[in-house]
Amino acid sequence: MTIMQKGGARIGIDVGGTFTDFVLSDPRDDSLAYYKEPSTPDDPSRALIEGLRSLLDKTGLAAGDVATIMHGTTIGLNAIIQRRGATIALIVTRGYRDILEIARSRMPSSFDFHASKEAPLVPRYRIVEIDARLSADGRTTLEPDAAELDRVASELRALKVDAAALVLINGYTDPAVETALAARLSEKTDGLSISSAAAIWPEIREYERTLVACLNAYIQPLMQHYFTGLKHGLERDGVTAPILITASNGGSLSLSSAAERPVETILSGPASGVMAAARLAAEAGVTSIITFDMGGTSSDIAVAHAGEAELATRTDIGGLPLVLPVVDVSAIGAGGGSVVWVDDHDVLHVGPRSAGAMPGPVSYGRGGTEPAVTDCYLALGYIDPAGFLGGRMQLDRDAAETALADIGARIGLGGADAAARTAEGALAVTTAGMATELYKTLAARGLDPATFALVPFGGAGPTHANLLAEEVGIGRVVIPPAAGTFCALGGAAADLRRDFVRSLRRPLDEKSAALLQEIFTELAAEGSTWLDREGGNTTGRRIERGVDMRYAGQAYELRVALPEHTVSVEAIAEAFHREHERIYGFRDTQTAVELGTARLAMVGETTKLARQRIAGGSGSPVPRGVRALFRKGGWLEAAVFGREALGAGDVISGPAIIEQDDTTTILLPGWCARVDIAGNLHLERTAT
Amino acid sequence: MKLDSVTLAILGNKLAAVSEEMCLTLQRTGRTLYVKETADFACALAGLDGRFFAYPRSIGVSGFVGLECLPAIEAVGPLEPGDVILTNDPYRSEGLSTHLPDLHMIEPYFHEGRIVAYGWCFVHCSDVGGRVPSSISPVNTEIFQEGLRIPPVKLMKRGEMVPEVRLFLDANSRTPDANMGDIRAMLAALSAGRRRLEQTIAQHGAETVAAAATDLVTYAAEKARAVLRRVPEGRYSFSDYLDDDAATHLPVRIALAATFSDGTVHLDFTGTDPQVATAMNIPSRGRPHAWLTLRVLALVNTLDPTTPLNAGLLDPVRITAPEGSLVNPQEPAATGVRHAAAIRVNDVLNGAFGKALPEVMPAAASGTVIPVVMAEPDGRGGRRVQVVEPMIGGTGARFGHDGVDGRDSGISNLANNPVETVEAELGVEILTYALRPDSGGAGRWRGGCGMELTFRVLTDDTNVLGRGMERLVFRPWGANGGKPGATAELTVNRGRPDERRLGKIDVLTVNAGDTVTFLTPGAGGWGDPATRDPEAVRRDVENGFVTPRGALDDYGVVIANGEIDPDATRRQRATIVASNADTAQGPERTRWDSVFSAPEMDRLNRALVGMPGAIRQRRRREILDMVLAPLPEHFPRVEASEEAVTLARRKLGEAIAQL
Repeated sequence: MTIMQKGGARIGIDVGGTFTDFVLSDPRDDSLAYYKEPSTPDDPSRALIEGLRSLLDKTGLAAGDVATIMHGTTIGLNAIIQRRGATIALIVTRGYRDILEIARSRMPSSFDFHASKEAPLVPRYRIVEIDARLSADGRTTLEPDAAELDRVASELRALKVDAAALVLINGYTDPAVETALAARLSEKTDGLSISSAAAIWPEIREYERTLVACLNAYIQPLMQHYFTGLKHGLERDGVTAPILITASNGGSLSLSSAAERPVETILSGPASGVMAAARLAAEAGVTSIITFDMGGTSSDIAVAHAGEAELATRTDIGGLPLVLPVVDVSAIGAGGGSVVWVDDHDVLHVGPRSAGAMPGPVSYGRGGTEPAVTDCYLALGYIDPAGFLGGRMQLDRDAAETALADIGARIGLGGADAAARTAEGALAVTTAGMATELYKTLAARGLDPATFALVPFGGAGPTHANLLAEEVGIGRVVIPPAAGTFCALGGAAADLRRDFVRSLRRPLDEKSAALLQEIFTELAAEGSTWLDREGGNTTGRRIERGVDMRYAGQAYELRVALPEHTVSVEAIAEAFHREHERIYGFRDTQTAVELGTARLAMVGETTKLARQRIAGGSGSPVPRGVRALFRKGGWLEAAVFGREALGAGDVISGPAIIEQDDTTTILLPGWCARVDIAGNLHLERTAT
Repeated sequence: MKLDSVTLAILGNKLAAVSEEMCLTLQRTGRTLYVKETADFACALAGLDGRFFAYPRSIGVSGFVGLECLPAIEAVGPLEPGDVILTNDPYRSEGLSTHLPDLHMIEPYFHEGRIVAYGWCFVHCSDVGGRVPSSISPVNTEIFQEGLRIPPVKLMKRGEMVPEVRLFLDANSRTPDANMGDIRAMLAALSAGRRRLEQTIAQHGAETVAAAATDLVTYAAEKARAVLRRVPEGRYSFSDYLDDDAATHLPVRIALAATFSDGTVHLDFTGTDPQVATAMNIPSRGRPHAWLTLRVLALVNTLDPTTPLNAGLLDPVRITAPEGSLVNPQEPAATGVRHAAAIRVNDVLNGAFGKALPEVMPAAASGTVIPVVMAEPDGRGGRRVQVVEPMIGGTGARFGHDGVDGRDSGISNLANNPVETVEAELGVEILTYALRPDSGGAGRWRGGCGMELTFRVLTDDTNVLGRGMERLVFRPWGANGGKPGATAELTVNRGRPDERRLGKIDVLTVNAGDTVTFLTPGAGGWGDPATRDPEAVRRDVENGFVTPRGALDDYGVVIANGEIDPDATRRQRATIVASNADTAQGPERTRWDSVFSAPEMDRLNRALVGMPGAIRQRRRREILDMVLAPLPEHFPRVEASEEAVTLARRKLGEAIAQL
């Protein structure tokens, strides 16, 4: 059988700030191959194309053997955060020119009178008002005549913009009105691309919907340019496989869908990592996990159950709220580059400032003078200065120790092991900070961390995971193989997925329950049409339904999943009561239930990735060396193992250090690590 | 400090997180709008002295860090594990609670048989009885009209709710179930705090945690002193007015002298008006109360954001708040809308501090929060009541920065309502929800723009409420040569033949087809407007924050076809005059002061405050009515003749002399 008869190779690619990561799923022997190529930030597609060439060489595959390319990118996110997107206009109902300036009228801090509001995506002079509006019950109450359309079109032309967004008050009630208006205006402006808010996301709340459309228009020219270049570049190499773009909801989209709605891909990077962790943990038989992604500038967590990541419908993108469903990732504090410092009152702090990649931690030798968390790892013996990034970068341990000793001198930690003691103190501060944020994130959802396993990834995740688990009282840590190349893996496994909404806002009764079913039928048809157009090799399709509900008079709504046969008023109400009880601890059967937004996700399932199997081990592997590890004020001797030499069934007792090219795992005393058949390391507490 | 740097950093973080986790628990399990949407609640940990050593930074009401639990704790006598104190009485809790809807609870946390800390929380509940639904009305004259007073009592004894207390609570609220829901959420929050504190003690030891509690307060106090030491020493005076007290048309004066000396500040409110016969009084008990010191906290936090939030922040603050005054009323003064006066207290602190730190402090923010409420007939004989928008203005300009347009965190930092959800629930069409051009005070840096809300009513016999309307007379002031912002306005049917311009309203009745326009004040500008970069003025015109007319009149910048005319601008700018101490608060204030000068008002209020309660308010009203008699009806919004001013001034002098 040829490789294409076996389904062909699937390749996941994640473009990061430093490296572009590749994962190739090879159907010939059900193996996974990993590859890293230095990123090329000026044109990210260069590293991608060159890396792909090398990966194919390395695995002995031809361009024609590739069945699918799954690609995640942060170009859109970076453009938003740095406000380097396209020059766009916003067309809005008359009277609402300040929709972005006013936003939800809150300031980021009520305690800092020097705080400022976020820079708007569209300056006020590029916001054009139009005599067009709907009423709350979906009637067109203001319709622009030909003269008004001409006036708006001529203003748009004069503004010389790359793209535009359109939002009408109550446009969500009948998206067709905005769609038609956008088409007419586009016609009159030489085909200007106009993102209609109601067409993309017909949910009530004008400001949030406006942002969806503006964000889409803002990054669209950039993303389209990038996608076109990428497609042509790959075609020149003979790669004609469909390219799928990973999405913020943990799924993926075709290249053309992503080009049309790049806003759906903004947070795909972190989402992919969480999805990979969720899937691997589920395959390893671990049901409830907290993912822990520790990178250079920050650490993020997310919660997943049975392979499904929790989604959020309100996240923050560079100070702007995003209401599209995205994998719910929360920042919990420091990353490897977070700076260790002492204030005027001699109290030790870690972060929030980061040394970044330039100048980076002191040990990078790039001119950094303030020690960072990575320098602490070095001073404590956690990481090998010669083994960083698989030995590609030599670290300067002496410099790290000198900088830490300076800090120590200021807080009364002098004498022997001053640097190590300071580093241990700084990591204790770091870990306590992460733990408190983790507690708060879970408390807000009514969850107890002790019932979860921690799944770390990212460069520093496995290094710090055991410390964090110990601090928060988590008894199990699962470290997947290739923890540093994780987002690419998540991409390679992503299903096709798009979310659809419709606002209902009415009391739950026989009539509205029937209407809900009608809406689900419509949304499912819309979803099917979309999925048909996506192409790609889907093996099946799945629909997820949900609706936001509340008790009458409540100011907040709760997202409730509705299984397929939940149709009756009683069943829908019960699903809500149950969810309300789970999250808020009570149900209220006296008060009427209201339906808010109906939600439907259309999922095109893709071929499952190869399940990697590793060879059996001896049970008690032989360390390749020992290293002194500083712990609780003294030095311990820790055995050092190479991750690649470990076999299934091997067990290691802490203290130990397990090294691999892209990260180092620290195993603390009182813990042991077991290797499973898929190569995951399971860290478990042996003593209390 | 007793602890090492690392332990202090760790415990500082953990203990603050305990208070935040308590808040998250409260928010998650709470029932009512106040808890879920506006987050009008807080939780904290108090030491054995009843002062907070750990307070949440990112959730709940930020300003209550200075509250004191000890009087309430002492009032109930010995405590046992599982006891929880409840109170809402401003007088009997000595300022822990500041109006009756705020239910405060305190639980002693025990370790090995001894109290090691107290958990505290409060919630603004829906209703505690009284004259009006939701218990708060600006025109209540005594606390007895404001609902059930709960002196500090044990709600829980050894983990069981005291049935008699519950009976009293249930019988005295229009919403007993919702209240009990919030009380249960508070108990859940207190338990969450207890569990997490126990865990922290298990990890670090009771002695270390106790040491952290005192060290953290010391640390915050040191940091606050370090910030205050950066303020040039001296005595800085400032006064401002509320347009009126909600029942009469007489303005209410708040005066302050702030003295900075060696890392401390003394806030002297002598000269502030006597307590009012409405619900604006701030029950501070003459202490550095949270409502009188918000701006000090903000100053410290702005200049050193790493300062932990706890009682130590107020260690360097001393207060003189004359008993019987607006800022330290005597029982039974009503206190329901004390936040309305607190907004102006905040402005006065800001103004006094600005004299010491002109390049740090901003000019006045818009200083108003108006929940515009509509009550429309529901067709079944009742009314549907809902907030249309909570209307605010902008923030004041400061050195190097324009003010923020259409947002103001000053006191509440509430989110607005999406227009679409309002239209889905009320018979209203919101025509304009926008910034108000030219409303921001001119200056080298421009004050933030106020806002416009215009809506068309779709149902006959609809009531519109605009409580909290302020700054219709006295403007948000400019600083360092900057001009004041525009005053607030209210118009019905703007631009139509039946247009009506209204002043402050309590309840306005309108019919289908009528439009109502609220304009909120703009914030004050900073620095001489003639020195504003003409390019910044051009950008403001391009963006519509300033009209071409405003650019010409307020900034002397001549813009033609979108371009600056440099020659004409140079000529025009020569005519622009920066504001000074007499004009920075606006012409209305200048006129007012021409009769009621600061020294005379200080003398008047000193004399009045010494009088018995009932007489004090009556005398003040009589004197002001008599002095205002020769002046035009809308003084100080309109000019008065020189003779009238002279006559009025003489009458005031005589009245003071007679006191």
